[in-house]
Amino acid sequence: MDVLGEIKKLLAEILDIEDHDITPETYLIRDLDAESIDLLELAVSLNSTFNVEIIDDEIYLRTFRLHTMDAEQRGDDTVRYLLDKFPFLNESRVIEIMKELQSGPTLKVKDLVSYISWQYRES
Amino acid sequence: MKLQFSGRNVLILGGSCDLAICLAECMMESSLFPIITYRSEKGEKRISEKFENSSDEYSSLYLDFGRRDSLDALSAQTVDDIDFLVDFAQGDLESFIAAADTDSMFHYFSENVAFRAEILKRVSRVMLKKKRGRFIFISSTAALRPNPGQGFYSAAKLASEALYKNLGLELGGRGVTTVTLRPGYVCAGRGRQYLQTHEKEMLKMVPIKRAIAEREVAETILFLLSDSAWGFNATEITMDGGLTAGK
Repeated sequence: MDVLGEIKKLLAEILDIEDHDITPETYLIRDLDAESIDLLELAVSLNSTFNVEIIDDEIYLRTFRLHTMDAEQRGDDTVRYLLDKFPFLNESRVIEIMKELQSGPTLKVKDLVSYISWQYRES
Repeated sequence: MKLQFSGRNVLILGGSCDLAICLAECMMESSLFPIITYRSEKGEKRISEKFENSSDEYSSLYLDFGRRDSLDALSAQTVDDIDFLVDFAQGDLESFIAAADTDSMFHYFSENVAFRAEILKRVSRVMLKKKRGRFIFISSTAALRPNPGQGFYSAAKLASEALYKNLGLELGGRGVTTVTLRPGYVCAGRGRQYLQTHEKEMLKMVPIKRAIAEREVAETILFLLSDSAWGFNATEITMDGGLTAGK
């Protein structure tokens, strides 16, 4: 199954936009103005389309900032700590998000692709 | 006026009480399909005896708010088929707050609020996928005007009302709506027992000078489930004969 293609279709339908405007590097909130209710609907649709468990807080990186702060307070290797908490992300993406945290919501389409692909591998 | 319904399958929580059974009967008359939950053998028996001759017009399943693992009964298949949910479920904890057992307090809110929220999460996500669904929560005027000893009951009811209200606020735009119905004195279940010993007092307080009949509540719920009533969303409706309107 073309995971990116299916995600693009779902986003286009939920947000009422053209899917050719969506790339893996597209920010869901910054670029597409996705709101909480859209993300909820997306989570439900991803679960239905791909038949994998979707944990909203995980796929949408809602606790990324919190875990970053936890790691810093504990004096742990922050990148390693975050890779453990978000096993569907790779090291370069974790570092990229850490650099962007202060600029606003960091969630990109490629994170959703990573999550679904990881869920497939785990199951 | 013939009621129209955008859906057929209705999950009834707390389905073995008098009101729920009366409602299930009305639903079958209107070609709706009730999925009636029970939490004990006694409850299951009540349901099966009442609907002995209608076995293909309803189904039942075990769901106990005090047992989280019973939520597994709401399997993917069952939940996917739910178009409506009517919630009668309510546990008892009658005690002065200052005298209540602490463990009982924790369990009570875990069962009557947290477990309820978990059910709402599960069912609402499915309705969101279908972009259609309707929840009716059966609260009580006792939630607003409790007697001493009803603090926990009132708190659980009001907390649950808030969950339902918010669900309607959050998902109304995606076709999922909610209503809370607050009945007053109803001639059913515990209400019937109370009325047998307190009828005179009750009659003085209720402007219409009678209790609400079981069937009246059931038919009101049926109306609230119908397409005609979907303009009611994230709101509470009182059905008490005027009990709480005056001083």
